[in-house]
Amino acid sequence: MTEPIVTMEAIVKNFPNVRAVDGGRFDLWSGEVHALIGENGAGKSTMMKTLYGLYEPEEGRITVRGRTFETLTPTEAIALGIGMVHQEFMLVRELTVLENVILGFEPRKGGGRIDFDEAEARVRRFVDDYGLHIRLHKKVNEISVGEAQRVEIIKALYRGADILILDEPTAVLTPQETSRLFEILRTLKADGKSIVFITHKLREVMALSDRVTVMRQGRHIATLEASATSIPELARLMVGRDVFLGVQPSNRHGSGEPVLTVEDIYVPGDKELSKLRGVSLELRRGEVLGVAGIDGNGQSELVEAIAGLRPVEKGRILLQGREIQNRTPLEVRAAGLAHIPEDRNQRGLNRSMSIEENLIATVFRKRPLSLGPMLVPAALRRFAERLIAAFDIRPPRPEVAVANLSGGNAQKVVVAREIDADADVLLAAQPTRGVDVGSIENIRRELVRACEKGTAILLVSADLEEILSLSDRIAVMYEGKITGFLEAGEADEETLGLFMTGGAVRA
Amino acid sequence: MRRSAVFNTVATIAVSLLFGAAVVAFMGHSPLEAYRELLKGAFWGRFNFGGTLERFVPLLLTALAFAVSSKVAVFNVGVEGELYLGAIAAAWVGVAAAGLPMVFHIPLCLVVAMIAGSLWAAIPGALKACWRVNEVCVTILANYVAIYITSYLVGYPLSAGTGVPQTKALTATARLARILPPSRANVGLFIALAALLFTWWLVHRSTWGYRMRAVGDNPGYAEHVGIRARSTMIWGMMISGALGGLAGAIEVMGIYGYFLDNFSPGIAFDGMLAALIARNDIRLVPLLAFFLAALKAGALGMERFTGIPKSLVDAIIAMFILLAAMEGLFLLRRRAKGKEA
Amino acid sequence: MFDDLSLVFNYTLVHATLRASTPILYATLTCILTQQADILNIGVEGIMLCGAFMAVTVSYFSGSWLLALAAAVLVGTAISAVMAVAHLRYKADIFVVGMAINMLALAVTRFLLQKVLGTSGSFYDKAIVPLPRIHLAFTDGNEILRSLFSDYSLFEPLGIVFVFLLWWLLYRTVWGLRLRSVGLNPLAAETAGIPVFRKKFEVMLYSGVVGGMAGAYLSLGYSRLFAENMTNGRGFMGVAAMFFGGGDPIRSWIGCLIFGFTDSVGSRLQSLGLPPQFILMIPYVATIAVLALALARKTANERRARSALK
Repeated sequence: MTEPIVTMEAIVKNFPNVRAVDGGRFDLWSGEVHALIGENGAGKSTMMKTLYGLYEPEEGRITVRGRTFETLTPTEAIALGIGMVHQEFMLVRELTVLENVILGFEPRKGGGRIDFDEAEARVRRFVDDYGLHIRLHKKVNEISVGEAQRVEIIKALYRGADILILDEPTAVLTPQETSRLFEILRTLKADGKSIVFITHKLREVMALSDRVTVMRQGRHIATLEASATSIPELARLMVGRDVFLGVQPSNRHGSGEPVLTVEDIYVPGDKELSKLRGVSLELRRGEVLGVAGIDGNGQSELVEAIAGLRPVEKGRILLQGREIQNRTPLEVRAAGLAHIPEDRNQRGLNRSMSIEENLIATVFRKRPLSLGPMLVPAALRRFAERLIAAFDIRPPRPEVAVANLSGGNAQKVVVAREIDADADVLLAAQPTRGVDVGSIENIRRELVRACEKGTAILLVSADLEEILSLSDRIAVMYEGKITGFLEAGEADEETLGLFMTGGAVRA
Repeated sequence: MRRSAVFNTVATIAVSLLFGAAVVAFMGHSPLEAYRELLKGAFWGRFNFGGTLERFVPLLLTALAFAVSSKVAVFNVGVEGELYLGAIAAAWVGVAAAGLPMVFHIPLCLVVAMIAGSLWAAIPGALKACWRVNEVCVTILANYVAIYITSYLVGYPLSAGTGVPQTKALTATARLARILPPSRANVGLFIALAALLFTWWLVHRSTWGYRMRAVGDNPGYAEHVGIRARSTMIWGMMISGALGGLAGAIEVMGIYGYFLDNFSPGIAFDGMLAALIARNDIRLVPLLAFFLAALKAGALGMERFTGIPKSLVDAIIAMFILLAAMEGLFLLRRRAKGKEA
Repeated sequence: MFDDLSLVFNYTLVHATLRASTPILYATLTCILTQQADILNIGVEGIMLCGAFMAVTVSYFSGSWLLALAAAVLVGTAISAVMAVAHLRYKADIFVVGMAINMLALAVTRFLLQKVLGTSGSFYDKAIVPLPRIHLAFTDGNEILRSLFSDYSLFEPLGIVFVFLLWWLLYRTVWGLRLRSVGLNPLAAETAGIPVFRKKFEVMLYSGVVGGMAGAYLSLGYSRLFAENMTNGRGFMGVAAMFFGGGDPIRSWIGCLIFGFTDSVGSRLQSLGLPPQFILMIPYVATIAVLALALARKTANERRARSALK
């Protein structure tokens, strides 16, 4: 082998308002595991989707097994032996696992009928060879996430893939499932398959990959041998500078009286592992309580239950001594709560409305912004202009639709609205996710400032560095429970990691 | 962006009219004469202009009804049913509450009609809000139910007993005065225009409208900022239903003077199309409603004086709607040309 | 009173129900095809109406029901092709397209009725050759058997065959699996190399074929004339029946039978001077109730599945 099996050169891909990939470069050798890393929005997925034919790149060349293409279609990619396991699974939930696997490549018998027996026999082979346990006759909406992911892998293998792209495969998995996935991937590698592994978790990179390519803001930064690099070096390449993004906590002390008390709550969840079963915590005036954990272990459910967006089936939530569980979001806000939601597009913002209309969303009922049912345009404008200036939202024009803002400025709109409420408690869920570095610093500074003014902050973040740099205390969630509380001083990534993976339990 | 949209609309109208002209010419008539008669039939003289106005009123109100519901992301295809129920409610009050002075009788009829329409619209709204039942489907079906209900009422309990399925004539105190006799245009026009202004204010300048738009664009966001998505959806539908009921009431009180079984030839569907072409922009709704009304009224005159069937105009309108719905039909061609150049 | 009821409910109701349900059944099949690709074909009413007009006209001038059927199918396909281009190529809202097609069909058939057949309102002539009827000679001696099994128009039994054929196509063949995947999750279909756009276009055309047949049956099998707006909401009833069955051909057919049944009972009640409206309402109310209950149950199940207390 002297030629890589895949070479991508000078790839450019634009989306409305953004250049997602700008001169992307990547190569893959036969039989290697190649990690593609970068922050959210670095262009990793976009890059691989052009290889799989889902996106048409504007510029660049893709060479697969010596054949060069400007663009590919999924059909061509599949024929070239490329398979992709997407972050959002590409499964038809209403069909069975077997039907999903064979879709598009069905074995037939006469009259266009599907030969289900033959199909099952073929799929079984992959199940047995690679230890990919799945139940073929269940509908996809009845199986777990881990199983769905194995279905995706089998689907790719069934289609004859020997180049396998996995897009952030561990983001949705429990640690057990993750280690099982790694075993599967090692078996596949031993069998001669080439694997592209997209992630931003550096520990996984070191555990699994042969080589690493780092992307930042759509550009190729470096390609390194995994054995010749280290986690700190990769982190520096990913983020682009050595600076510590944290704002050092000033002399805050969590000795104030508790403002928010969560007592043994049970909350329904989207997934089995994210249901809350008996969570308790206390948030004191003037402190930042960080909640760490792998995505999907109940953090979102906790935040939404407190904010009144999710029912509480058992237990109590007290805000300043008043019960707020199962109240409407409006009542909870009136009781003194503000909330930066984890997904600004789903919850945080109304993308078709203007900056102004998004900023007034929680206060438009009050004078002087409205008189009875009548909105007062001049007052709204003054209100919006004040916040735009205070939080440096760009462009500083209240009438611009939020859809036209960059991720960072859109997030600033959310942060401005919620911090301006001057609430007793602020829930900040993933406050800097998918935001550029400049805005990250800006947003973190605002959070600290709010805290110093007496707001208690519950900070939920998948970003350990964010948790460590902002929190006074840290709670770790794992499978819908809190597995431990740590003081800021005694926590480091090592200990947190242990708690986050269920490796240690402490009340 | 704005200018290309205008260009698109103009091009769409031009193509539809050219298509009509071609058919007219093919039939051996003069297209110019046909369109002249069409224009005269829509605007020339009190009778003709009145004819346009009397069609404009229900079109405007039903188009508004549809546009309002779509602000809360509910497609209310059931305006026809609400129009029928509003009409029969107005007819009932118009007959039963005889003896009231006009200043009370007319408002009472209108209010009862609006209540009837809004309650009927609340059903699909609630089904959608609580259980996510597809409202397009429910409202299409509910139209038939509503029409059967009115058909039963006018055939049995409210029948005038003349053999024709219609109610007794409304008392004079419940009739809306004609403004351009001998046409049937009536003061319902001013009620409709008031409803237009109110609706615009409601949607764009009131806290209610803010809530409606927030829910319609992104219910998750609305919940998050403390706006109750479900109840907003339901009362958004109720406002829509009230407008539909109002349209029915004006038809009965201003045009017919009684309720006639199956009186509406799908007025609300025309209104809905006007709203759809206007992309539910409240400011554009009256323009399109007026345009459609003028075409429909003018078609009568054209048929009378040239012998060209008025169904041709309906076909042109349908063409226009079809072309207007095709986003960027003309834009794409222009861009393609730009590339070559 | 009971004498009256036996005039309404007796063995002839079976024939009447089947007959009345068939136009709706064809409309439903038209909708199911596109619905499986996630396209709500509101324009079925218009397609049927044009098909019905075309069938009568061609039958009248040529004297051949086969030619008439072919012409109806052709016109149905042409209309659905226009709809497909507008919706798929030019991203027009399918709902608007469907409504515009209905409006266009109504106007154009009215126009052509006047210009081609020289009349307005309705057109009937002895020269119109209807679709063949199946007469089973062995039933001649027995009035009940004859009513139950004989003298159906060719397309009435054929409709039932189509129901099962479509079911088989959808759930047992490669074609059906791919079609359903396009409707349920187009992205998944796309990543499986299935050409989503082409599949949608293709199924729109098939739906035009069935819609054309529906029209031909309406004017040459169910009746033997053309009248303005003769579909009279049957296309929408087809949409309703499709919703009733959730897009499944067999369950939607049951919906059609309920429509046919209430329609037959309603018209008999009316001839006895009883208000038929409440009977005629039943299928609509039933469909709404079925939809609401199904979704209410689904919501409750989801809530249970999400609960943390079990």
